[in-house]
Amino acid sequence: MALEMHDTRNSGGGRPVAEKGEHIIARHLIEDDNIKEEKNLVIDGVDVSGRWNTFIISRVNSDFDRSFFEEIKKTVVGSRINRCWQCGMCTASCTVTPLYRRFNPRAFIYMMQLGNLKELKKYIDVAWRCVGCYKCSQRCPKQVNPAEMMEALALVMKKYFPEEVKTKLKLDEDVKKIYEDMIIGHGRLDLAKLHTSAMQKSGRTKELLDKIERGAIFEMIKDGRAFSILRLGKPHNWSSSKKAMENYLHKLNTIENGEAGV
Amino acid sequence: MSENILVIGGGPAGLNAAVMLSELGVNVALVERDSFLGGNPKKFKYKFLFPDMQPADNVIGELIKKTESAGNIKVYYSSEVSDFKENGKKFDAVIKSASGSETKTFDSVIVATGFEHFDPARDAKYSYQLFDDVIDIKDLERMMGENNFVRPSNGKPPKKVAFILCVGSRDRHVGNQYCSRVCCTVSVKQAIEMREHFPDCEAYIFYMDIRTYGFFEDLYWKAMEEHDVQIVKGRIAEITSGPDNTVVCKGEDTLLRGPFEIPFDMVVLASGMEGGPQSPEISNKLGIELDEHGFLKPENVTLSPFKSNKPGVFLAGACTGPKAISDSITEGAAAAMNAYTYAVKNR
Repeated sequence: MALEMHDTRNSGGGRPVAEKGEHIIARHLIEDDNIKEEKNLVIDGVDVSGRWNTFIISRVNSDFDRSFFEEIKKTVVGSRINRCWQCGMCTASCTVTPLYRRFNPRAFIYMMQLGNLKELKKYIDVAWRCVGCYKCSQRCPKQVNPAEMMEALALVMKKYFPEEVKTKLKLDEDVKKIYEDMIIGHGRLDLAKLHTSAMQKSGRTKELLDKIERGAIFEMIKDGRAFSILRLGKPHNWSSSKKAMENYLHKLNTIENGEAGV
Repeated sequence: MSENILVIGGGPAGLNAAVMLSELGVNVALVERDSFLGGNPKKFKYKFLFPDMQPADNVIGELIKKTESAGNIKVYYSSEVSDFKENGKKFDAVIKSASGSETKTFDSVIVATGFEHFDPARDAKYSYQLFDDVIDIKDLERMMGENNFVRPSNGKPPKKVAFILCVGSRDRHVGNQYCSRVCCTVSVKQAIEMREHFPDCEAYIFYMDIRTYGFFEDLYWKAMEEHDVQIVKGRIAEITSGPDNTVVCKGEDTLLRGPFEIPFDMVVLASGMEGGPQSPEISNKLGIELDEHGFLKPENVTLSPFKSNKPGVFLAGACTGPKAISDSITEGAAAAMNAYTYAVKNR
């Protein structure tokens, strides 16, 4: 299969575009980030460009970075990181793990304990998926509070991998915007509206009209959930609460932009 | 006329048996192979005992004091039982010491010959003899006891220390399939001591399982929650030398499924307990059974763990299997009671 693809590319005329680590046998076993290729590399006066310039970084973990553990321990949400003994009760209880197998609170806590940022980096896309059901925190035998530890994890991600977070979590930023607008605008969370807006924003408008969605909308109209927000109206004295929230968000944005050097 | 009972071994079990018997008015002959009493805890200068970190001297020192001050305990130092014969329901034993041989008749016998620490040099993968900075729990215990906690290679305090559990235990490769029961708790205790006295020194424990059974679990929780001792799941397959005079532990993190090679300043091997050469020796001499693990075999492991298969010969302490000091002391008392009963019955 791979050979066929290669041929097609060559038959297209001109030079084939080099793929990262294409000369490596069993390429599928090696992660992209672990392959280093230099354009014009000279080692000890010998030109090693061409197919000799491909290097594979070892998978071996060669250090435990304890300073990282200390950093997490100082945060309010991560203060109990030293308690975790990796029994796996959190992952076993988790609402999210059955949906995203790569979301594993036990493993995340362990990586944070050992300061294994290299490994953590691979999970930027799922590390934010905690829905805050707190089943893990309720069941944890050592009262680690894994649910809040996931917040510590989010803070870590944001601090150490700001670029990756920005590029890999675009959709989540959009949902956040929708969520904020909804709260500030109406003072209440309208789950039906949140869902539809998120679908529209992410370009899945068509899916809104399929059978399951139609069924759900029908159910919500029938039991009144679809219009409950309209019926309830804004919370009491909402304008002052709204002002406080806007102030807070404004401040937060200023800090974030300041950090990013904008 | 009072009874004569022979106690072989002057460790925690033997000492307590002797003290108990002397309080019952029995004449005790205590045969000790070393020139001092106290057994392994004294030999390797154990400093603090788990689970409550009390000074070892509170326990061992107390027993030695009682033994030495009792009028009816005769201690034979640097001695051994060179010959042993049954004489009806009684026993004739020859006690050989520096001052010559002495033949005596005893009403009953308590064997408390104890254990030997597993010699980590026998398992070459840990490079115990190769690197000065690879030590084992008994070495560390001695270092702590002598207030001399430094890297053997350069005399400087270490900054990063690894504890490796199950060295010489639960390993068919070295011939010991059993769990030595106390090494987990001892390692955890030592890690706590280390972190207490040297907060700058990081402690990592490499484990397969952490078996701090019963209330010893408190110590393990304390190590993590109060002293930030980090546990890492994976056995160490190889210890090699690393950059900047470090020793590198190579292993697999079985929770993350990834290999690691981490440099440490010092590695402490939690070597287990073995029956030692004395167990088969005493088993031959006294005609009592040896089990498949190299320890002495109790008649019934549940009903009478302190009885040997030979009536009148009783067992106490770590000679029947890995044991904590408190268990040995309990067994010493249990064996003393049984030996006394046997002696009185056959007077």
